[in-house]
Amino acid sequence: MKSPGLRLFAFAYLIFLYAPIVLLPIFAFNSGTIIAFPLKGFTLHWFDQLFSNATLGQALRNSLIIAVSTAIFATTLGIFAARASTRYRFPGKPGIMGLIMLPLVLPEIIVAVSLLIVLLGIGVPLSIFTVILGHVLAATPYAIAVLNAAFSSLDKSLEEAAYDLGETKWSTFRLITLPLVLPGIVSSMLMAFTISLDEFIIAFFLAGEQVTLPTYIFSQLRFPKQIPMIMALGTCLVIASIVLLTIAEYARRRGIAKTGAKDTGGFL
Amino acid sequence: MSASPWKRLKQSEAFNGYVMVSPTLIYAILMLAAPLGMIVAYSFFKDGYLEVIHEFTFENYIQAWTDPIFQAILFRSVLVSMLVTLVTVVLAFPIAYFISFVVPAQKKSLWLFLITIPFWTSYLIRVFQWKVILNYNGVINSILTGLGIVDQPLQMLNSVGAITVTLAHAYAPFAILPIFVSLEKIDRSFLEAGRDLGESPFMTFWRVTLPLAMPGVVGAVMIVFIPTIGDYVTPELIGGGKLPMVANMIQQNMLKIDNKPLGSAIAVSSMLVVAVIALVFLFLNRRFLRGPK
Amino acid sequence: MTIKTASDRPTMIEFREVQKYYGDYHALRGISAEIRAGEFFSLLGPSGCGKTTLLRTIAGFEDISSGAVLIDGKDMSNVPANKRPTNMVFQSYAIFPHLTVAENVGFGLRRDPRSSAEKARAVEEALELVGLKGYGPRAAHAMSGGQRQRVALARALILKPKVLLLDEPMSALDKKIREQMQVELIKLQRELGITFVLVTHDQEEALVMSDRIAVMFDGEIAQLADPETLYRHPNSRRVANFIGVMNFLPARVTAESDSHVALEVPGLGPLEVTPDQVAAQTSGGEATVGFRPETLTLLYEGQTASDREAPGVIDEVVYYGDMTYYDIRLDGVSAPVRISMRNVFGRPVLDVGSRIRVAWSPGALVLFR
Repeated sequence: MKSPGLRLFAFAYLIFLYAPIVLLPIFAFNSGTIIAFPLKGFTLHWFDQLFSNATLGQALRNSLIIAVSTAIFATTLGIFAARASTRYRFPGKPGIMGLIMLPLVLPEIIVAVSLLIVLLGIGVPLSIFTVILGHVLAATPYAIAVLNAAFSSLDKSLEEAAYDLGETKWSTFRLITLPLVLPGIVSSMLMAFTISLDEFIIAFFLAGEQVTLPTYIFSQLRFPKQIPMIMALGTCLVIASIVLLTIAEYARRRGIAKTGAKDTGGFL
Repeated sequence: MSASPWKRLKQSEAFNGYVMVSPTLIYAILMLAAPLGMIVAYSFFKDGYLEVIHEFTFENYIQAWTDPIFQAILFRSVLVSMLVTLVTVVLAFPIAYFISFVVPAQKKSLWLFLITIPFWTSYLIRVFQWKVILNYNGVINSILTGLGIVDQPLQMLNSVGAITVTLAHAYAPFAILPIFVSLEKIDRSFLEAGRDLGESPFMTFWRVTLPLAMPGVVGAVMIVFIPTIGDYVTPELIGGGKLPMVANMIQQNMLKIDNKPLGSAIAVSSMLVVAVIALVFLFLNRRFLRGPK
Repeated sequence: MTIKTASDRPTMIEFREVQKYYGDYHALRGISAEIRAGEFFSLLGPSGCGKTTLLRTIAGFEDISSGAVLIDGKDMSNVPANKRPTNMVFQSYAIFPHLTVAENVGFGLRRDPRSSAEKARAVEEALELVGLKGYGPRAAHAMSGGQRQRVALARALILKPKVLLLDEPMSALDKKIREQMQVELIKLQRELGITFVLVTHDQEEALVMSDRIAVMFDGEIAQLADPETLYRHPNSRRVANFIGVMNFLPARVTAESDSHVALEVPGLGPLEVTPDQVAAQTSGGEATVGFRPETLTLLYEGQTASDREAPGVIDEVVYYGDMTYYDIRLDGVSAPVRISMRNVFGRPVLDVGSRIRVAWSPGALVLFR
């Protein structure tokens, strides 16, 4: 066995990564009202409380609407930008792409605050819609990163071949480009969806009276009484994201198998 | 016989590129560039009661920079960000190295998958879990007192250290992935060449692997350092509100105090500080970033 | 082996002063040439010479900065690639990885009004033509390199184009399959009578396959001729160097008339060449004579030259199995010249350092000046 030290470190690191997550179900099923050891006993009460919470239901609905819209719009904008950056050369490209990718490193609070000022300035009422505006901005760079990989692994001569064989530019896109980058599009949508579902700061500033899942969670974290329910919610979210990620990974591998391409790495 | 100028333009690659990028670019201009411009403009406006007076002034900057609270918060933010970046990258490098060089090829995606799963679960809850772990009656203290290692539970929350650990956890995949990508790009024959030329494994790592991995390390530093300085949630939850960072101050001024020009000036100031530090860091590492791509 | 194309065949493709700029880079510098109908035509040159760009102007993938490309007498400047009577075999073959072999081959028939049964038959015929009968249902990405090329050929030919364009189609194949495909392509071209335009950087491939070859350097056609003319009468040292091996010796022109040029060549002595042995392009430099390795013969013990002979020493011997290359230092010349000798049965391979005589003939020389 090679590098036992590194291997040991890697497993310790995994424990560090997973410790907070493993604790979630432990406290979610613990009948004690205080999040502390020793554990009291087994209960499903917190899940009961979770599923009968009307505000939470509203928050989930809002978040899903926002996340689905973000996934669609960010991926659409991502397709245009990824296509432009992988296929065309034009003056000013690094600057243009730099601006589009800027939210990747820009602290979200800056995005949130600046958007808030503009929206208030032109008198747009804060709502789910304004959250979508912000989330699309924040998720598009991630979508582009995923789609860039998909588009740049696409051989340009495939499109030329279809065009050469009599197809138009649009039918070439539909018949050749789209099917081949579809796994990338699916990944991009899943990523944008997940980012939006989890995003707190922008929603915190731009949602107005509306509540989203993260803003609801944040508001509840100050009430110790509510924490066990949040643990139950966290458990559900972890399971949901593992299921989603597994589907995404499966779709990606199937896409690779279908076109005989080389497996070039993980979901991210 | 030859095509018209308009047709020429329409066929030109640059024109098609602009057309293709325009939807995304227009969105970025409207939703990002313009608002950022607004923030800069606001930071030079006067704050009136309940409204903003559109009059040019340096007042906000003077007020911010002479405020000892702002100085302390900015200093703390930079310090925490640097600490987080250091811890995150130092912990991430061996993991990235492990996945790239030790893990067999067919298991690499599995490892990357394992690394990224925690990242996909609720950020707020992950941060809060560190409170559960580090609490006075939390996981670590329960274990320590239970095993009799300490008599009194340790006070770990509400400290820069706790904030650092929490953020280092939150940004782990952001550091691991760029380093992993640059390690993967290293042609393995370079390492064999290093060994072949008589270098020890450690010197080969030092003289070949590390310099070639530097673009990834620099990328990791950037992608951890810049957003961390603007983190709002962790100081709030783990710092217990007693150790605010710039984001908390911006939020205070923008929403609670409703002094948008001052909030803008703080936002612009902290972004400038971040930008300067980032540029200095990039400049110091410029020799690693040259060369093909 | 070479069948000469009758020069009275109609023109299929015509380049008129074609210029192409990429920003400041001048990729095509005023190309004017004609490709005849039914011809196997090659664009040969080193990478970056503009040969692929020129091919892509025929296909319509590259718009030209000025000039015109005509196909079958029609100006193509307003005809996009999908409306041109040309089809292309790409360097990477561009086989659609998500489709089957049959779907790939039948891709261009989507807008064809024929019934699907007729189309399926056309696909099967096209596959048969390239020796892939029965491969239709297979996944395209599972095919080998040689098979992919055949799929690409069938896919391009099924539309019965007036011109088939081939962009370095053999470069990804290993030597054995490459040589096999070369022969098959020649046969296919004869059978179909379609104009083939091949881009290659491999001079041997161009010589083997083409009716005519355009040798390109730096965005210009340096020489356009049939393979034999190119090989025997290169019009410049550069073309001579690019196609096969040529020895060069400095020469001094001593006298010149309409019927001959008299030269003094160190190592070979005084000699005369006829005007048709003088390369068309003058480079302005010093005069040199060039000769191919096989135009010289090593004389063995007791043999005499039928024409002229020159003494020398063997500098280097390179054994190739069927051939042996000798680098020989002729007396009075410092740079060695290369001679190729067929290793016929009973002929020994000589050693380095042996003193030998070389037979040569002034008629085989080319004079560059």
